[in-house]
Order: sequence, then C-alpha cells, then structure tokens
Amino acid sequence: MVIAMVITFVFLVAPIIVAIMMSFDGRSYLGRFPPPSYSIQWYTNFFSDTYYLAGLRTSLVIAVITTLVSTAAGVSAAIVIDRYEFPGKQALETLFLSPLVVPAVVIGFALLLFFALIGVFQGYPRLLAGHIIITLPYTVRTTLAGLVGIRKSLTEAAMVLGANERQAFWDVTFPLARTGIVAGAVFAFAFSMDDVAVSLFLTSPDTYTLPVAMVSMMRTNFDLTIAAAAVVLMVFTVGLIFLLEWLIGLERLIGGGVFRS
Amino acid sequence: MPVLELKQVTKRFGDFTAVDEVSFSIEKGVILSLLGPSGCGKTTTLRMVAGFENPDEGQIIISGQDMQGQRPYERNVGLLFQDYALFPHMSVEQNIAYGLKRRGVDRTATNTRVEEMLELVKLSELRKRRPGLLSGGQQQRVALARALATNPEIVLLDEPLSALDAKLRQELRIELKQILSAVDATTIVVTHDQEEAMSLGDSVIVMNQGRIMQQGAPTDIYRKPKTKFVAAFIGRSNWFKGAVGETIDKGVCRFDTVSGLSLLVPTPDPVATTTSTNSQAYEVCVRPERININPNIESGNDNKTEAINRHAGTIRDVAHLGPDIHLLIELNSGDMLTASEQYHGQALEQSGEQVELSFRPEDCIIVPADS
Repeated sequence: MVIAMVITFVFLVAPIIVAIMMSFDGRSYLGRFPPPSYSIQWYTNFFSDTYYLAGLRTSLVIAVITTLVSTAAGVSAAIVIDRYEFPGKQALETLFLSPLVVPAVVIGFALLLFFALIGVFQGYPRLLAGHIIITLPYTVRTTLAGLVGIRKSLTEAAMVLGANERQAFWDVTFPLARTGIVAGAVFAFAFSMDDVAVSLFLTSPDTYTLPVAMVSMMRTNFDLTIAAAAVVLMVFTVGLIFLLEWLIGLERLIGGGVFRS
Repeated sequence: MPVLELKQVTKRFGDFTAVDEVSFSIEKGVILSLLGPSGCGKTTTLRMVAGFENPDEGQIIISGQDMQGQRPYERNVGLLFQDYALFPHMSVEQNIAYGLKRRGVDRTATNTRVEEMLELVKLSELRKRRPGLLSGGQQQRVALARALATNPEIVLLDEPLSALDAKLRQELRIELKQILSAVDATTIVVTHDQEEAMSLGDSVIVMNQGRIMQQGAPTDIYRKPKTKFVAAFIGRSNWFKGAVGETIDKGVCRFDTVSGLSLLVPTPDPVATTTSTNSQAYEVCVRPERININPNIESGNDNKTEAINRHAGTIRDVAHLGPDIHLLIELNSGDMLTASEQYHGQALEQSGEQVELSFRPEDCIIVPADS
C-alpha cells in the first residue's frame, strides 16, 4: 500500500507537478528545476501560436465527435451483448475489446494502409475512425458493467405497460445504466484527447491533433511551450472529470456503475 | 364472449416443445390458476399471452381479436412479475402512473387514477417512496397497483406470492383475492404452489410437460384427479400399486395390491379404460386426512354391511404440527402410510402402538398407472 503510494507519487504526481511548474518558468531558455521566477510567457506563446491552436481545435472537435459516436455505438453494442443470446456472441464481445490488446501503433499503421488502399487521404475521417476504434472498448465495457444489474423484467414491465422498445430504453434502461454510460463517455473523451500512437499515423499535413503537434514541436524547436500545451491538454481532461464529479459524483461514476436503489 | 381464448397454442424452443396444443378460455371476472411443476410450460403460456413470445402454432384471442404479431405494448394486459420489476429510480406514484403515461392518458385523469389505485392497495402514505425502501409485501402491492392502473383486459400474475415468507403469504393471498374481485379483474395466476392455485383460482388448470392435464374447480381437481400426475401433484397421498378385481357393489370394486392387501375402491372411470389398452394397470391413492385411526381394541362387533377398508398396523412416527398430527403407520402388509388427524386436545398416539386404519371406498382415488 505504502509502496504503491510512493511509486504513484514519484512517477506520476511528481512529474506532473514539475511540468506544471516549468510551464510557468520566467526564464526565456530551458533551465534547471525549480524555476527562479514565474511568468505566463509560455502560455502567451501557446495561445498565439497558430500551429498549436489548430492542433487544439482539431483535438477538441475529434474528441467530441469520437465521444458521441463511440458512446452511441458502444451502448448499442453493449445492449445487444447483454440482452440477446445469439451464436458468436462471445466472439463479438471479444472483437469489441480487441483494440485494448492490439498495440496502438499496429492499429494506426494498419488503418493508414487501409485508408490509402480505399483512397481516403483527409485527416479528419482517418483520425475519427482511429479514435472511435480505440475508444470503443471503454464505452462497451463500462456500459456492460452498468447494464449487468438491470433485470430483464424491468424492460418487459415497461413494455407490457405500453412502452415500445425505444421508450423502454429511455425510461428504464438508460437512467439505470447512466453512470456506466457516462463513465464510458468520459474515458472516450480522455483517450481521444490524449492519443498519440494512432493519431501519428493518421494526421495529414493540415489536420493534426494537439499531442501530435507537441511531438513534432519537440523534435524541431524544443521549448517550454510544450509544457504549457501539456497543461492545457490536462486541464481539458481533468476539467471534464471535475465537472462530472460536480454533476453526478465521481464515486458513483467509477465505483457505482450499477444503479443501487 | 370469453375475454381470453387460447386455441391449440404450441411453442417450441429448438427441439423442446414448451407448450403443446394448449387450449382454454376465460370469461370476464374469472380467476384461473395455471398450476404445474417448473418447466411445465405455464410461464411460457403466460409470456405468450403478454406478448413476449409468439406461438409457433395456434391462436391467442383477447376480446375477440387475434393477437398474432401484436407486441406487448399493443395489447392491454397487466402483468405482475415474480420479482415485481418495480422501476427503482421512480417513486411509488411514478411507478403506478407509468402505464397511464405511456398509454396517453392525460395528466388529471392519471392523477385521479393513481389516487384510486393507491387507495385500493392502501399505500397512500408511501406514494413518494422509492421501491427500494418498501417491504416485500408493500412492493407487491405497488406492482399490483401498477398492473391494474391501465384497466387491463386481462391480468397475469407470475408466482405472485413466491417471493414472500410463509406468514405474509397467507395474509397477502386473501388481500390479493379481495383486490382482484374489487376491480372484477379477469386473471391468470401462474404458480407451482398448489395452495396458491387452489385458494386464488375459481378454476384450476394443471399442466405438465407442456400439456393441460386437467381443468376444473379446485375441489374437483383435488377430489377427482383423472391422472396419477394430478393426484400426486395436488395434496399429499398414499399410493398402492395393484390390479383391479371383481365388482363388489354398484361403483365399488376390489383392488388387490402388490403388497397383498385387498382394498375396496371406486370402479375406474370407463372412459379412462377405453382410451387405454385392455390390460390397464391402475394405482390407488388415499389422502392422509381421509384415513381414520381407531385404537385396535374392538374388532368385528360393529356393522359390517357397510363397505369399508379396515387394516391393522403399527405407528412408526408421530409428528405434531400444531393444528394437525401426522402419523407414519406401517401396515401389517408392509405398506407405509401417512395419516393426518386434527388436534383437539386428545391424548397423542404413541410410536409402536397397534392401531386399526379405516377409510371408505369413495375416499380412494383410482387412476391409470402410467398417467
């Protein structure tokens, strides 16, 4: 327990603190930690740099669309897996989870070849497809966890009381599985915002995500704008989690996938 | 016109025939019990009436309308689920109002109806509660109110009392019957519990292996079972195997058991005999409460002209179950019988005591052995 906490602190929390502090460095060159003075110059840099801003914009657009599509598809798939018995059900479930097992680099490269083959060269569709694929396991998994506690008789009760399948879903299944579904959406957004490995293969010269922009800037002119960019990226993901914590409670989001009456 | 009619309904799951040419009908206001062991097809029958399953063959007709292909929400059927299936995220009130809302009833009418239903099931004070905070009995009443709110043409109860403990079950059974008759609901009760089936139902259908074994009033099913399955499934019974002998009197014949007893039993139903082979084997059963126990002192000095079965035996076990006493008796032939008598303060028989048993021929039930 103590060891785990120490490891978490040394390798996760400490580097983040260093990155945050360095992003406010007052020096104009890359110096030693800790910074002797503080300023917001790197943030000014970041927000006046069209290259980064274009990346941020693309990242946000891709993340929002990915979250919507991946959640809708993940929920549909999870409901089918949970509610119906059919041959190949196990195989389908495994298929939906397989992007977790296949290395992201392999997925990215395979998608690049595939899109070249069918003649898609624009960045947006390629990035979207890649991001939806890598986030699906999360939305399927968390929705499944949310559906497990919902008895089939509840849907049947709604139907015998006059609700059609769609109404039964929105009146009964969705409210009860909501925490699981929302958790999946949060993961989808976070993973989409943060992905480098798949995106690296799928960007086009004019369409790239913020993490990809950071990687390429690191190779060309390495300065602390990258630290500022990292903090901005973090703010979006952490901000989303705090927003949800405030809205429905993080405990229920993560621990309470199943509705408890 | 019957409210519900099933005509030759058959349902198969793969190679398994769950419901096999089942036909019956229910008139308005009647409570019908579907009784049988698990897997006998009673639940599948109920699910077909509700519209969750479609019959492979035959027709289900509700109020003169063929229900083929009609989805559950296109029928007006009330269903009380075994686990109640109350919506945990809605209050008692919202649960009851749900069906009305989905059936397009306007708000004022819905409120009046919810009020009525709350009063009917005596839960007005708990209207704002979530189902998770209610007791089992209260949950059941909410579920019943929800099922009855839309004024369904037919109400289906799936093992309505099985989730409750024994004492509560008794209370709720009476209450359930009162509520159902108060709204004059046409009802099917599906149950594996014979007490539940017989106390709730005006009529009982006994099912086994997807088929209807017998339909009749509860008393008829108990007193005149037509098959061994029905006789054994309903109530407790002592069984004798053997062969039918000569006719003794009008409607009474001899029955020689394999253990060597000679019993006087009712002559088997000729209809039952003609439907089977000539060398029909029979079995005879006697209900425990029909057996009289006499201390083994007097013998031969009372009126012997009355045809009655008298056999001597030894008491092997005495169980005092409150109002009843159950005796396990070994006859001199070796047959073990259970007899029960009411306890009214008498001295209890002792294990090892010699007794004489007597039971009248008309208290014996004779059925074909392989039925």
